Amino acid sequence: MKFNCMKGLAAGALMTVAFATTATAAECIAPANPGGGWDFTCRQIGKIMFDIGAVDKPIQVTNMAGAGGGLAFNHVVTERNDDADLIVAASSATSTRLAQNAYAGMTAGQVRFVGAIGADPGVIVVAANSPFKSLNDLVDAIKADPGSVAFAGGSAVGGFDHLKPLMVLQRAGFTDITKVKYIGVDGGADAITQTVGGFTQAMTGDMSEIVGFLKSGDVRALAVLTEERVPGFDDIPTAKEQGLDVVAVNWRGLYVPRGVSDDTFNSWADKLQKVADSAEWKEAMAANGLAPFTKVGADFQSYVDSLVVEVNQLSKDIGVIQ
Amino acid sequence: MDILTNLGIGFEIALSPFTLMLAIIGCFLGTIIGALPGLGPSNGVAILIPLTFTIGLDATSALVLMTAVYYGAMYGGRISSILLNIPGDEPALMTTLDGYPMAKQGRAGDALVLSGVASFVGAFLATIGLMLLAPTLARVAFLFGPAEYFALYLLAFCTLGGMASNNQAKSAIASCIGLGIAMIGVDNSSGLPRLTGGNLHLMDGVDFLVAIVGLFAIAEVFFFIESHGKGSSIGVKLDKVTIPWRDIMSTKWTMLRASGLGFFAGILPGAGASLGSFLAYMSEKSIAGEDGGFGTGVPKGIAAPEAGNNAAAGGALVPMLTLGVPGSGTTAVLLALLMTLNITPGPTLFTERPEVVWGLIASLLIANFVLLLMNVPMVKIFVRVLQVPAWILLPGVTMISFVGIFSLSGSHFDLILMVGFGVLGYFLRKLDVPTVPVILGILLGGNMEDALRRAMVLSDGDFIFLFSSPIALGLWIAAILGFVAPMFLRGVLKKPQAITD
Amino acid sequence: MASDRIFGLVVLMTALAYIASATQIQTSFLADPVGPKAFPILVGAVAALSSLVLIFRPDDEPEWPAIRTFGSLLVAIIVLVGYAYALRPFGFIVPTAIAAAILSYQISPRALPAALTGVGLSVGLFLLFKYALGLGLVPFPKEFFG
Repeated sequence: MKFNCMKGLAAGALMTVAFATTATAAECIAPANPGGGWDFTCRQIGKIMFDIGAVDKPIQVTNMAGAGGGLAFNHVVTERNDDADLIVAASSATSTRLAQNAYAGMTAGQVRFVGAIGADPGVIVVAANSPFKSLNDLVDAIKADPGSVAFAGGSAVGGFDHLKPLMVLQRAGFTDITKVKYIGVDGGADAITQTVGGFTQAMTGDMSEIVGFLKSGDVRALAVLTEERVPGFDDIPTAKEQGLDVVAVNWRGLYVPRGVSDDTFNSWADKLQKVADSAEWKEAMAANGLAPFTKVGADFQSYVDSLVVEVNQLSKDIGVIQ
Repeated sequence: MDILTNLGIGFEIALSPFTLMLAIIGCFLGTIIGALPGLGPSNGVAILIPLTFTIGLDATSALVLMTAVYYGAMYGGRISSILLNIPGDEPALMTTLDGYPMAKQGRAGDALVLSGVASFVGAFLATIGLMLLAPTLARVAFLFGPAEYFALYLLAFCTLGGMASNNQAKSAIASCIGLGIAMIGVDNSSGLPRLTGGNLHLMDGVDFLVAIVGLFAIAEVFFFIESHGKGSSIGVKLDKVTIPWRDIMSTKWTMLRASGLGFFAGILPGAGASLGSFLAYMSEKSIAGEDGGFGTGVPKGIAAPEAGNNAAAGGALVPMLTLGVPGSGTTAVLLALLMTLNITPGPTLFTERPEVVWGLIASLLIANFVLLLMNVPMVKIFVRVLQVPAWILLPGVTMISFVGIFSLSGSHFDLILMVGFGVLGYFLRKLDVPTVPVILGILLGGNMEDALRRAMVLSDGDFIFLFSSPIALGLWIAAILGFVAPMFLRGVLKKPQAITD
Repeated sequence: MASDRIFGLVVLMTALAYIASATQIQTSFLADPVGPKAFPILVGAVAALSSLVLIFRPDDEPEWPAIRTFGSLLVAIIVLVGYAYALRPFGFIVPTAIAAAILSYQISPRALPAALTGVGLSVGLFLLFKYALGLGLVPFPKEFFG
């Protein structure tokens, strides 16, 4: 048995060598614990960048969980403002929280948004045995008796998943949003479990969270919140074609510190574009229910800026923030 | 038999000299990671994800390595619990209660071997359970809504009444400290921060690892500075390491019951391994009664939490694989790994990717046997830790704790908080206030509140809803009959005896 | 006796302060029927009640160390806090060596072994964490290498 230990040690030494090369590589901060969407973004993008040769050393992923991404944001702004070797995973949750001033006064202008290379379409789903056959059935039921429908979603109250049904109801002319029941649980899969279990009547989340459950027939998607129907899920109608014009996608992307040079910014944007064009990323997207959504460089920065303004206004209109 | 054929396919995928070597390396590394305070299974698995990419392992090999590390870390957590009274990670918390007293008696080797066997039994039975019942058991998660979860957490808190301290008020204060800390951070049900004092570091609340390492490891250092190591396990004359057959045989039913409870707790998303080991320990304690000697270093007190937490780790794979719901921090990391390998767990995984599922199950079984076989010889090495002089060992433990906690968020804030917990832990232990309820309060307090508030949202504030299902009602009854009633009846039941004496 | 009473009083004060700050918790008008304040207040109240029990029915006095020991505990706390602040700006190796050496000296007051322990632990652990476990530790401040 001593032999096994020695073997283990030898292999440990082998791994040591493998690891020594990562010493000065670029760093990707995932502002959450391992296992979430941001972590996925860092690891996938980092891996593909290395595999396709966009960077010459594997990108080191650091998890910096805290304050829904606020801790990492603060860290980048105050301590790493000119670090050219740093990228940070971001998503709609980042821009939503910035728009709702949930990062203790920090603003979207304090970093530079490099790009998004995929988006998770928002969806509203019900259990397979639900009486609601269309989004309008659901909306009508809420209009008739707001207490009869409870939503479950993966974000806290006022977060992006909560905003989705509120936006739909706002478009439908229902504005008494304090009456709408919503419980925030720990992630989309948990929200589905609660809905299939019959504890809540509908689930609001992202396409990636429901793919498996759609295939198994446990749930039925009432609407996808995109402009067009999502390829591969052509039988799910958009909210728009049901007369409720709501578009809400959860983009996955990156930001870099404010203080980097334009050259650095553009080079990260190029690298991200290369990832977007790679076959590997397409495969990863397909496996995880992401829809193509590529915006990089200045184009994306202005998209995020307008998104922040829009969500801020919307949150005020709906009453999520004062 | 279908299962046997499937298992055959699984072993065909997972069993080769190369993967076997990976399993051994993984088990070894996992054990080390699990044993180091502050580094838990989730750290371990997270560290290894980039490693698999760097070495360029294929999906199956990566999976074997990961599961080996996962189970290895679950096994490893007990080592520092037993030897130093410092839980390597949160599921190993309950193992300190009887493991450390046993080590102080010079029986560290027995305690380690026994807990290793208990870990094996728990993990093995859970893997069998996963194999036979996973698709069916996944439906159990659909039966647990907010009201049921609330009753479950309530059951856990009711058992605290039987906690180690003689003074119930002190147990209550300890759990209140934990619960009070759990309330800090962004409130899930309103989206607003609570009791953070505007500090960004507190928005996500206090990480339980910071609390565990502070209350146990740092406080231990203070005790050593005070006593210079007298009355601790370090330097105690050790018995020769043998296999304690008698202890193993005498705890077989305990192991079986604890595995069952742990597996069940693991299946429920959100409950996880700590609840598994906790419920296993407390229920065995109440079965054994006052004469059981729990808390003084009895074999059952070691076998129960270890079988419980390893069974829960196996059970947690059920919702992770079949629903994509991670039952614990560690399964969340495994989920991330699967997703980076382009495998998306969900209800169709078992039918669409049987090779992945059965490969995983086969590698779990492999890891389990490797761990059991590695265990006895490794125990001989581990007990040597106690021969290291305290003036090297304790500074070492402190520095490891600092690095572990530093790796959580890379800020000094958590470290300061950890030292604060160390000071708190020192005074609590001096005053005979148990520290385990503090950790449980932090671990489960937030979940319990969330469950109650979600239930109230769904029912428009109607409290009857909390008793509205047979499951919820059953858990309430178990909580009251099993743990609350005995507390009050104890006095009544004892009186007649006192007279006959 | 006195220790438990003092502890009871401290808990009572903390609990009351906790309840007071809990009443200040912001409530959004989207709040649920229970609200964000109820639980913290309940926890504070239970703690306050339990502390009263402790004040009126204290356990026996624990064995407190001598004042000098408290002095060395204080030194240990200061070292640990200083270490926490030093880790990022000064890198891993130097602060670790110093902190470990002081702690070692406090447990067993012999200067040379303590110093060797400090240096040995700091280098050894750095190698373990950096290379065997792959954590991103910085050995020395970046400025050292320009």
